[in-house]
Amino acid sequence: MFRCIVFLLIVMFSAPVLSSSLDITIITSKTENRQSQGTSFAGITVQPYRPVQRAVELALFESSTLLETLGIKANINQLALDPEKDIKKQLDTLSLTSLAILDLPMDTMVKVANVTNQMKVVAFNVRHSHTHLRESLCLAHLFHAIPSDHMYFDALGQFLVYRGWRKVLLVHGESQRDKDRAQILVNSLEKFGTTIVDQRQFTLSHHPDDRDKNKPEFLTGGVSYDVVAVIDSVKDYGRYLQYSARSARPIVGDVGLTPKSWHFALERYGAPQLNERYRSFKGGEPLGPQVAMTDAEFAAWSVVKLVTNSLNTRAPGNELELMAVLTDPASQVDLYKGTRGSIRQWNNQLRQPILLAAPDAVIAIAPMPRFLHQKHYVDTLGLDEPESQCQLR
Amino acid sequence: MKLNVGNGSSRTHTCSTFWLFYWRVGLYSLLVLLTLYKPVHAATAVISNERSGDLVFMDDTGKTINRVPLCSRPRGMAQHKSLSTLYVACSDDGKVIEFDLTTNQAKRTYTDIPGAMSLAVHEPSDRLVVSNEGYATTTVLKISTGEILALLPTGLEPDGVTLNDDGSLIFIASENAGIVHVFDGLTYEPIKRLITNLRPRRLALRDKELWVSSEMGSRVEIFDTTTFEKIDEIIFAPKGFRAEQLTPVDILFDHTKTHAFVALGSANHLVIVDAEKRKVLKYILVGHRPWGLGLTPDGQRLFVLNGLSDDVTIINLKTRRPVITSRTGLVPHSVEMIN
Repeated sequence: MFRCIVFLLIVMFSAPVLSSSLDITIITSKTENRQSQGTSFAGITVQPYRPVQRAVELALFESSTLLETLGIKANINQLALDPEKDIKKQLDTLSLTSLAILDLPMDTMVKVANVTNQMKVVAFNVRHSHTHLRESLCLAHLFHAIPSDHMYFDALGQFLVYRGWRKVLLVHGESQRDKDRAQILVNSLEKFGTTIVDQRQFTLSHHPDDRDKNKPEFLTGGVSYDVVAVIDSVKDYGRYLQYSARSARPIVGDVGLTPKSWHFALERYGAPQLNERYRSFKGGEPLGPQVAMTDAEFAAWSVVKLVTNSLNTRAPGNELELMAVLTDPASQVDLYKGTRGSIRQWNNQLRQPILLAAPDAVIAIAPMPRFLHQKHYVDTLGLDEPESQCQLR
Repeated sequence: MKLNVGNGSSRTHTCSTFWLFYWRVGLYSLLVLLTLYKPVHAATAVISNERSGDLVFMDDTGKTINRVPLCSRPRGMAQHKSLSTLYVACSDDGKVIEFDLTTNQAKRTYTDIPGAMSLAVHEPSDRLVVSNEGYATTTVLKISTGEILALLPTGLEPDGVTLNDDGSLIFIASENAGIVHVFDGLTYEPIKRLITNLRPRRLALRDKELWVSSEMGSRVEIFDTTTFEKIDEIIFAPKGFRAEQLTPVDILFDHTKTHAFVALGSANHLVIVDAEKRKVLKYILVGHRPWGLGLTPDGQRLFVLNGLSDDVTIINLKTRRPVITSRTGLVPHSVEMIN
């Protein structure tokens, strides 16, 4: 009886202060050499890569005042997996309170996500925009903070229609990934009412026999269009189409005007403060003035902020229940893009506005004006609930 | 189509020349009176413009009277009525300018106030409170001497600041942390952190109530300043908008604190709220992204600054309708009304 009272007293007095912790684990692959990725022929960097660690640290730095107020301790762990060895064994340090951030190549990520899902550990994909992860894999404990290809291309489609550039010449590479993404772009463009005047495939070969496919003037000739849409996932060929197309028309897609989730030149919604913090929060020499989070880094930053921001609006309990936070439709995150983000309950995708950006300026933020949705302002971007095969909740 | 010019009318003149003469005299004297008449306006609005770096002085009919170039990115402003001075936060210069409203000139500069954003003046204690946006601090300084009395640590991106009437409590909203920091106004010790909805921006006091606009939470939250508990919130829903498009920023009470005015940012509306019942009375369509608000001393007209359409909408509060929308400088931020 006495014990019982003491226990009750402890519970009563400890209730207002959370004693829980936020354990973030960034999972990477030991065998992946990311430094060589995003680099083209002759060592030219076409897609800068940085580990997501800095962005995660930034998000925790930003959340420190709130976490301190709530009495929550947070820590970041690094877990470099060997994909050749038993994955399950290597993940046994994770617990139900872990927040796993998966910065992994596709095949390893799918394996890891299947294991974390079985363990009921919350894991976030911050790198891959692929449809099949959201649609056919569709795991209850796997969330996607990076936008899907559908979201990126719906944003582009809306922009083209908004500008009145309705005749599109689509040019794409030979890889299966390029072909898949080209198909998603076609679906988006047709959904919003543009016409694909032709769909052409390019090749890197300079052989004269292939000149219809490798010379920009030939590749973009013989047809009338308002704009050239380029799909080039590795950014190897597409960049040479700029200023070289047969007709003087803008280039959009993977080069030129590109849909992105974050950009150094966003000048509204507090974005300059966030960019400045990213460059300098660690002290020492700040990063260069045009360096900003990549979409993967921004996704990793959003994951932590989604969890900490939701503590602002949820009545604090004794434990930080990650799954309860993420499956609460009221949980939201301030993304510094003018419209808050939240989780789509049907496929675990973080909904968010998409920037349409030139290399040095943000030209527009989708959803574009007059693209309306019956429920949520940004749900005209990406697979909507009735369209999605994945119906988690 | 044929134009009917000249003697198309069959009307006959029945008036005598006598009456016509008096009618003309009357008309002319009216015209003379009209040209001599100059409307006397009780109030002048001073508008800070972030991007053009100047102050625009405007009468309450929306006519620009004067334009004074000032500094880089002037944003928050606060008035010292008995000194007849205006304090302007020059955000990109890291300073606050004391602007003399009698001479219309900058009088003094308080330097070393990095990222100066929002201001509050407490006249009885000769103090000025300035939030330092990129620096997670708030500066308290003595107006007469410029001496820095305290540097209060806050969460990231502090914006709205306010003091209660006797200056015993200082409230500072941290946008990033989602916290309103409460400091003791005398000892500068932290007293309490009020956890708010996302991106708290501006603060307004109404007796024991602290009203906080939550820009990303799309609502105004009300806290009790004695218990520091949240007591209520007001959710907005103008027709044709989704909840996430409503981004309230400035809150202003009328002189009797019976009504509150809230600028709804991305939703391009101003809302009038019954402050007692905490009920929405009317949504009024204004310009693009309204933030800053100002009320004429007679309480008749409300100035709503439209930051992204570079203009101000003036609302007649009797009819609750916009009277005129006038051009300001570039990206108008704050407005102060002077006599």
